[in-house]
Amino acid sequence: MVRGRTKRLHGKKFVKRVKKKIPWIEHVINDVEIAGDLNLEDSGVKVEAFEGSLCLICRGSKRLCGKPRCPALTKLYSLIKVSRLVDGESLMGSSPPGVFVGRVGYPYVYAGPLVPPEVGDTSLMDTPEKWIGKTIDEIVGFRTSLVRSKFRVNVKKVAKAGRFVDQTLELALSREPVDTEVTFKRKPSKRILLDSEVQPMGPSAVLRSMEVGSVKTDHRIEKAYSDTDLKAEEAVLDLYLNGVPVSKIQRAFSIGAFGLKRQRRIVPTRWSITAVDSTISRRLIEERIKRSSRTINEYRVYEFNYLENRYIVLLMPGSWKYEWIEAWYPGTTWNPGSNNIALGGDWEGYKGRTTYASIGGCYYAVRLAVAEYLANEGRQAEVLALREIRPGYIMPLGVWINRECVREALKRDYARFNTLEEALNYISSRFTVGLRDWISVSMLLKDALYQERLPKYLIREWRE
Amino acid sequence: MFSVRVADARAFRDILSAISTLVDEGTFYITEEGIRLRAMDPSRVAMVDFAMNKSAFDEYVSSGELKMCIDIGELLKLLRRAGRESVELFLDEETGQLKVTIRGKYTRTFSMPTLEASEEEVPTPRITFNVKATLTTDGLHQALEDVSLVSEHVRIEAEGDRIVMNAKGELMGVNIELDKGSDALISLEVKEPSRATFSLSYLSEIVKAAASTSDVVTMEFSTDMPIRLDFKQQYDGKLIYYLAPRIEVE
Repeated sequence: MVRGRTKRLHGKKFVKRVKKKIPWIEHVINDVEIAGDLNLEDSGVKVEAFEGSLCLICRGSKRLCGKPRCPALTKLYSLIKVSRLVDGESLMGSSPPGVFVGRVGYPYVYAGPLVPPEVGDTSLMDTPEKWIGKTIDEIVGFRTSLVRSKFRVNVKKVAKAGRFVDQTLELALSREPVDTEVTFKRKPSKRILLDSEVQPMGPSAVLRSMEVGSVKTDHRIEKAYSDTDLKAEEAVLDLYLNGVPVSKIQRAFSIGAFGLKRQRRIVPTRWSITAVDSTISRRLIEERIKRSSRTINEYRVYEFNYLENRYIVLLMPGSWKYEWIEAWYPGTTWNPGSNNIALGGDWEGYKGRTTYASIGGCYYAVRLAVAEYLANEGRQAEVLALREIRPGYIMPLGVWINRECVREALKRDYARFNTLEEALNYISSRFTVGLRDWISVSMLLKDALYQERLPKYLIREWRE
Repeated sequence: MFSVRVADARAFRDILSAISTLVDEGTFYITEEGIRLRAMDPSRVAMVDFAMNKSAFDEYVSSGELKMCIDIGELLKLLRRAGRESVELFLDEETGQLKVTIRGKYTRTFSMPTLEASEEEVPTPRITFNVKATLTTDGLHQALEDVSLVSEHVRIEAEGDRIVMNAKGELMGVNIELDKGSDALISLEVKEPSRATFSLSYLSEIVKAAASTSDVVTMEFSTDMPIRLDFKQQYDGKLIYYLAPRIEVE
């Protein structure tokens, strides 16, 4: 999502270190349980904050960020739990399997397997497709308990990068969790940035050595991996059409498992998610949706609520068009300081778009969800997907939440209407953001409401 | 039986590319007199009405009437390889393949599939126009480029001897005046003062694409009715666009 803004909001990159023993907590917190959890002496978690951050004034007690719960403390609890289990220079656990590739320093990035301090069936930890219905704490728990073991690698040299890359690749191709033993150059860093806007992340450390247990590969992914004449785009699409979950395709994609032999690249996780969402949805739109001559013949409204996010999808009769709009309540991540709801979005017409959507990866994640729905139905439609975010959504959890929630919404029964007016009235009764505000931002709604169509002016005469 | 030849691929390519701004797959009606196509874009906001008569081709052979639906984008890709060389099209009715032969320094023959033709022919809008203006295509193109700096739609008004285009964006606005007899506006007849608003994403695209085929455009409109843009062609034929207005209630 819109990561760049974090920096801008703070203006300064300088990070102020707060003493290990946070003196304020004892003074401020009366709640015995919370105070006990924050007994940081033995947890060894290092707490950091941006200079001038609201968190330094708030100290978890005043809710200055406007959220009903402190997101920093939520992350802290979770990290403390993990850090008790990760306290040495080596770690043995079952990787879900998971892989993380950073983007800092591109093309020389950190990459490596994600290993939890836990043996057994850990597959859920890195399968966002199955997370719908989990609480924020559970999801933060999944994220924080995966220790990022890492090594430096040149993204362009997948084949020659050495054993670590080969082992990580092998692990990424697995269909089941892989027992992995890693040793680090030093103890995993247990730092936490006191901030309400950063996604939860586990501890990380540079690899010294790695042992990967026996791997049962997913034969579909392995086939694409060993085909060095298959372009990455085709590999991604084939796997998707063969029923491989998006998160698995993305994992293999990011570690450079696909593409023509000489052109294989390691791709930062964040970019790879959007690359996969965008590629699959574009191909579905071109090859399935636009080829179907039928359009839906009613106005449909789908809805799904999850973790204080309300998703509504409006399908309108017409040829393919798509728009995604988010409305952030005051006090939510991307709208901390104002008293107004902030709306933002992007759209594409029938011909698609040539530039990156300004709102970020969520645009493509949702596009995948709606494209696969219409492709299955075999009809075209104008798609308007809306999301209202309340302060209870205390921290960003990743773009998967948009993809999965919209998928979920589209699985449900929909409300059907004969006219746009009825559909819009219904939508406005479901949302807090007013209809006028949605319309003022939405290109699709403005077009549907104000743009005339030619058939109205045609006279039915077959030959002049 | 359908077979044609054009000595210079460029003009033919420009026309197809002007059509392709609105339609991807086009059904051409082929008769002994020539070829024509009339189609709306997928959103049914705009229409192109195109004809190219027999005499416009260097060679034209057609017996009877037939329909041929092709992916115009794909044909354009082939024609882009032709530069200013000569191009022949031949429809093999048995296999449904269109053979595209480009003769230059060497001869190459591409074949491409034809698609299922659409059943009905689209009628043209019947509208009483109150304004008829003849402009240079370039003048209109430049004016629309100006407007597109500030807004996504443009209001066109005609009264007396003047056409005014104006637009208001979120922050900026623009007002463009075209006077009768100026370099851009060649002639103007106003039966009744009229005004209508159009989406620039359509209007600019149409004018930009048609500008390479034509120097002079006849623009007709009425209050809150579709606009008709007749781009005068150098060959024996026509290239006319219709675009539905935007009606904003504020």
